Amino acid sequence: MQEKTQTNNKVLVVGGGMGGIRSALDLAESGRDVVLIDKAYSIGGLMTRLDRTFPTNNCDLCTLSPHLSESGRKLHIELLTMTEVSRLDGEAGDFTATLTTKPRYIDMDKCTACGQCHEKFPEAVRFTPGLDHRAPTCMRYPQATPYAFSIDLERCEDVDALVKSCPTGAIDLNETETVRKLSAGSIILAPGAELFDPTVLDTYGYGVHPNVVTSMEYERILSATGPTNGQLLRPSDGKAPQKIAWIQCVGSRGVQEGCVAYCSSACCMYALKEAIVTRERFSDAIETTIFYMDMRTFGKDYELYYQRAKNEFGVRLVRSRPHSVVSENGSGNLEIAFLPEDGGQARSEVYDMVVLTTGFRITPELRELAGRLGIDLNEHGFARTRSFDPVATSKPGIYVCGLFESPKDIPETMIQASAAACSAGGDLNPLRIVAKSEEELPPERSVLGEDPKIGVFICDCGLDIGGVVDVPKLVDFAASLPNVAFAEAIGHGCSKESLGVIRQRIGDKGLNRVVFGACSPRTHEMLFQDTLRKAGLNKYLMEIANLRDQDTWVHASQPDVAAQKAKELLKMAVFSVRLAHPLADHTLPMNKDVLVVGGGVTGMEASLSLADMGFRVYLVERSGQLGGNARNIRKTLEGEDVQAYVKGLIERTESHDQIQVLTQSLIVDHTGMAGAFRTGVQFGPQMFYRPIRHGITILATGALANRPREYLLDEHEAVMTQRDLDNLLEDRADKVQSWNNVAMIQCVGSRVPENPNCSRVCCQAAIKNALRILDINPQARVYVLYRDMRTPGFEEDYYRKARERGVIFVNYGLESKPAVKANGKGVTVSFRDPIVGREIQLPADCLALSTGFIADEESTEDLGTIFRLPRTQDDYFLEDHIKLRPVDLPIPGFFVAGTAHSPRSIRESVAQAKAAAGRAQTFLARDTINLGAVVATVDRDKCASCLICVRACPFDVPFINAEGYSEIDPAKCHGCGTCASECPAKAIQLMQYEDDQILAKLDGLLERMV
Amino acid sequence: MQNFEPVIVAFCCHYCAYTAADMAGSKRLGYPPNVKIIRVPCSGKVDAIHMMKALEKGADGVYVAGCLDGDCHFKTGNIRAARHVEAVKKLLDEIGIEKERVEMFSMSAGMGEKFAEVASEFTERIRKLGPNPVKTSAFAQVRQAVG
Amino acid sequence: MITAERKPMEELTECMKPFGRILLVGCNECVTVCAAGGRKEVGLLSSALQMHFMKENKPFEVKELTLERQCDPEYVEELAPHINQVDAVLSMACGCGVQEIARRYKEKPVFPAVNTKFMGASESQGVWAERCAGCGDCVLGITGGVCPIARCSKQLFNGPCGGSTNGKCEIDSSVDCAWQLIWDRLKALGKVDLYEENIAAKDWRTGRGGGPRKIIREDLAS
Repeated sequence: MQEKTQTNNKVLVVGGGMGGIRSALDLAESGRDVVLIDKAYSIGGLMTRLDRTFPTNNCDLCTLSPHLSESGRKLHIELLTMTEVSRLDGEAGDFTATLTTKPRYIDMDKCTACGQCHEKFPEAVRFTPGLDHRAPTCMRYPQATPYAFSIDLERCEDVDALVKSCPTGAIDLNETETVRKLSAGSIILAPGAELFDPTVLDTYGYGVHPNVVTSMEYERILSATGPTNGQLLRPSDGKAPQKIAWIQCVGSRGVQEGCVAYCSSACCMYALKEAIVTRERFSDAIETTIFYMDMRTFGKDYELYYQRAKNEFGVRLVRSRPHSVVSENGSGNLEIAFLPEDGGQARSEVYDMVVLTTGFRITPELRELAGRLGIDLNEHGFARTRSFDPVATSKPGIYVCGLFESPKDIPETMIQASAAACSAGGDLNPLRIVAKSEEELPPERSVLGEDPKIGVFICDCGLDIGGVVDVPKLVDFAASLPNVAFAEAIGHGCSKESLGVIRQRIGDKGLNRVVFGACSPRTHEMLFQDTLRKAGLNKYLMEIANLRDQDTWVHASQPDVAAQKAKELLKMAVFSVRLAHPLADHTLPMNKDVLVVGGGVTGMEASLSLADMGFRVYLVERSGQLGGNARNIRKTLEGEDVQAYVKGLIERTESHDQIQVLTQSLIVDHTGMAGAFRTGVQFGPQMFYRPIRHGITILATGALANRPREYLLDEHEAVMTQRDLDNLLEDRADKVQSWNNVAMIQCVGSRVPENPNCSRVCCQAAIKNALRILDINPQARVYVLYRDMRTPGFEEDYYRKARERGVIFVNYGLESKPAVKANGKGVTVSFRDPIVGREIQLPADCLALSTGFIADEESTEDLGTIFRLPRTQDDYFLEDHIKLRPVDLPIPGFFVAGTAHSPRSIRESVAQAKAAAGRAQTFLARDTINLGAVVATVDRDKCASCLICVRACPFDVPFINAEGYSEIDPAKCHGCGTCASECPAKAIQLMQYEDDQILAKLDGLLERMV
Repeated sequence: MQNFEPVIVAFCCHYCAYTAADMAGSKRLGYPPNVKIIRVPCSGKVDAIHMMKALEKGADGVYVAGCLDGDCHFKTGNIRAARHVEAVKKLLDEIGIEKERVEMFSMSAGMGEKFAEVASEFTERIRKLGPNPVKTSAFAQVRQAVG
Repeated sequence: MITAERKPMEELTECMKPFGRILLVGCNECVTVCAAGGRKEVGLLSSALQMHFMKENKPFEVKELTLERQCDPEYVEELAPHINQVDAVLSMACGCGVQEIARRYKEKPVFPAVNTKFMGASESQGVWAERCAGCGDCVLGITGGVCPIARCSKQLFNGPCGGSTNGKCEIDSSVDCAWQLIWDRLKALGKVDLYEENIAAKDWRTGRGGGPRKIIREDLAS
């Protein structure tokens, strides 16, 4: 364990977009204290403005895990909105940040988000319920988003009236800008980026023609919460457009005034998404055309998405950069002029709407922040990082993730966010196993055999409930319901004071069931459960009637209606709670050892990250030595020395006290669950068997270098892969001196039916090698035959440099692949040049094939079977959520990183390795794993072992056990209840949602009021 | 019936429709009070029996609201729910009860507007259909009062 | 397993019309597995029947009960305490169960709620297909494990008829031609010689041709 010189254990996270939130959550769940700041008045960032995200075309935020430890977040995250870092002193381990907070004019402790001020002063009061409309599902506690209002004083005309409009007195106009000093051990920068504003371009008519919109504006038009309520209507006249064009790379990949040179990486995919969603959701009669330069669908399964867009959804793709958009007279329609790809005459087409696909920009404020913090920026104004440590800035202790590091999409942002959390957490003192949250709890009272003795507590929630319905009358009503022993109005039920009263009453009155007439269980169930538990009752002996969110808020203008509905909701809850019974949360002690499978760069980086934090790591490698694919790579595109890096990694790994390396090892069996895995390994030449007990598994098994039998590879000495060439350039540079012509063919064995996805690394490898050839032999002529040049982000700089230095790029299609013939010591490559429109015969001294990756099908299949993990169609491991949980596998406790996940560069693999370690840390920080109580249980006497549950379970949990009935492991059950509803013998019940409880609710609702 | 106020049971998935309902509340979007929500962890948890029992006990309409296609937190629950609803429709058809009394809807957690819209539309649909024939019979009324 | 399918509601409501209180009996064996007559289907049918009669303004009560197995007298005995409280029994078991109840409770009308279909296997979730005709003289050993009696529409014994097209049956093109399956399997086993052999005319007396059948295990029988 390395010595740390920490003085405090806090991490400052700057920026509350998806990346910052992810970092903060990961750290909080690992028991670290986090201060999350954002300059906006609520958090959420760019993603919350999107309608849907690719490639699932879902909104996706609601699919975030339900098993996150909520209490951990509350305990460990402090959120400061409207706050910026105005000054930074100190160094890694001992930073002092000066935080400046603008006044919100609302006391967040008092604000109940009742909305009265907003109603009366809509101009002056800003309300974004946190993450836009989806907030509560993302961070489900009200203070965090924050679920509160802010005031724009300049727009308020009657200040006194505004102050008086607040029933809780939360509006405080005397608030001033506050400055606070914060000590932090490390800092994560996740400030995001802005979207390019195309007003500065005069060619596309943005800002002049109303029907020219940016892609983000188009997202808002599609969004159900947008200006058109989700109707696809164009701005000029509200007509439904029938022909829509997208123009790619607007403001990106350009050298003209106002443009940036880099590629914004995410735009190809989101344009495809918008086109697909347009046709899918509105009408497939709408023509959708995308004008593009290169279709850069290089991410995991993105190529398949691209093919689906073309083939299934009929999205039209035109390879051309239009030179202008002009308005057709008076109609609002737009004429796009462009040069077609085949080199023919300039053409023009008319569209109803044009979407400009704009990329990411670093704001001047961000450059200033970087200056204040003292971190280096690259020439584009992004934080400078190195390939081998992609989330570390130039200043120790300051990390970066997301768009500020480089343009990228959501999954890569999430990966970097978890990686930054890992690095930032690693800088702090070793994890304290905090007892801060563990209060002494009274023993749980047994209620077995007792008749239900129900207490009903009804909140008035200020005026939110009490202002609409007569709470005392509701209390009288509740008291009249069967088995209700006590009913009381409790004011703000969630306040500390009221919770104390409730605890007192449970004891004094001997209550054994509780109903809360309150707000939503989504936000308050856990709080009320805690209250029961603290009062010595099992926390599942309660129900919440959602009187606020689903009654008084909805029917505020009809008090009678609301009162009647409140009675019904209470009655349903009382009827149901009568049948509630104590449930035990399932817990497991956490084994804190880690198994890392695969000893390449990814596996070693993940192992070292965790070992440095003090966790014991078993690193299992199939081959005889560590290093993996990187052993055969010499230089990165940026010119960094890969071998020196790998050598250093191997030395550190092999000499680390906390890492045990097992080479020549095979995984042979596996049992258990997160926190208590047992994996059998055979290792060494003798294949000794050894069981390893561990709590976490990280899969870093990599992919294989593809080597298809094509284009005379391995048949002719002049034909080699880019990797072979990479080595030759280092070892036999003399050979290159004599070369006249070098040809390169891209996408060999990738983006073909056998291996449908893009290999991600080959375009940059070709450019890297082409530039090195020209360094050695400036006279050589290099031809790159490509399908789409995929050089996202700053790789685009090298692509441009290659073109400037005379490398010739020739496009080819899958239907007209180049042909290669032996020609003495060289080969002849024939291909069609689309620009001159004829066949070219090129004699080449060297032909380099960009062969990319192919999934290691054998090992992913074996491991997939042993660990029961799903794989993609092309045999990479399939993560739990392609967008938001890119390193978590669907089985808790399993993580994936590197090329076992998808083809990726070293830089991306290192980030993902650290991300996996960061996510693993959130598990390892706990002493036990709480699995909750909502699990399906089987009544063995009723089970007919029909297998229907076995087949219906989306997670393959039930199995027919040796005794011949279905068994459901509570540690694996996700609690959806699918099996319970499908079971033909009614042998399965989902705890907390049992059939009799649901029927009791129906009785409560439908039984005639007597 | 002049003043017919239908009673409608909405089984709502915690992750999507239930959240959407809360969202409708927080945005103060009105929808008919006729709709009473029963929260389930996943729309796939809603058994055909629950829908039948709701109607048998006198609800005038029942709907299940789950996540958008492909958006199910538990992968396929919403697809199963849609099938359960179809099966109940068929059964109702067979016993001469309007199958329009049950329906499946999809929405995401953020779609408060959609939730309110669905609640209003479905309530109108049931209002037009009139009371559940099961509860209008004299015998059924006796039975219900007994509980 | 024995497979079954619920009868149309119209038929069921018609035969339940004369009664006011019935016992609806499920079976936790085959009909549960094929989702025709287990506890869940009992619940659904009970609900449907009650709703139907409520709508008709007719008093109708259903008592639900699911037995472990309706084709064994010991289990059927479990109905005894309830039988006098009802006017009729509606059984969701296969024909065996219905008959066992009828035999035990002679004075009580018993009705089948399902149509018993065939002996079959589950092809996938929710799909069952006929596999065995119970001929009493199994030929699967020479037909590559595919039964030409249960799976050939014409019960042919020596190769397919002229209607076998692209491996499908001419009677129903969604059904595989049994003889195509037999051929494929024999080929895979390297036993095409079995295909060449003539199977002699079958003695149908071992099947239904010989009248109702019975098995007596001397060692077990008392």
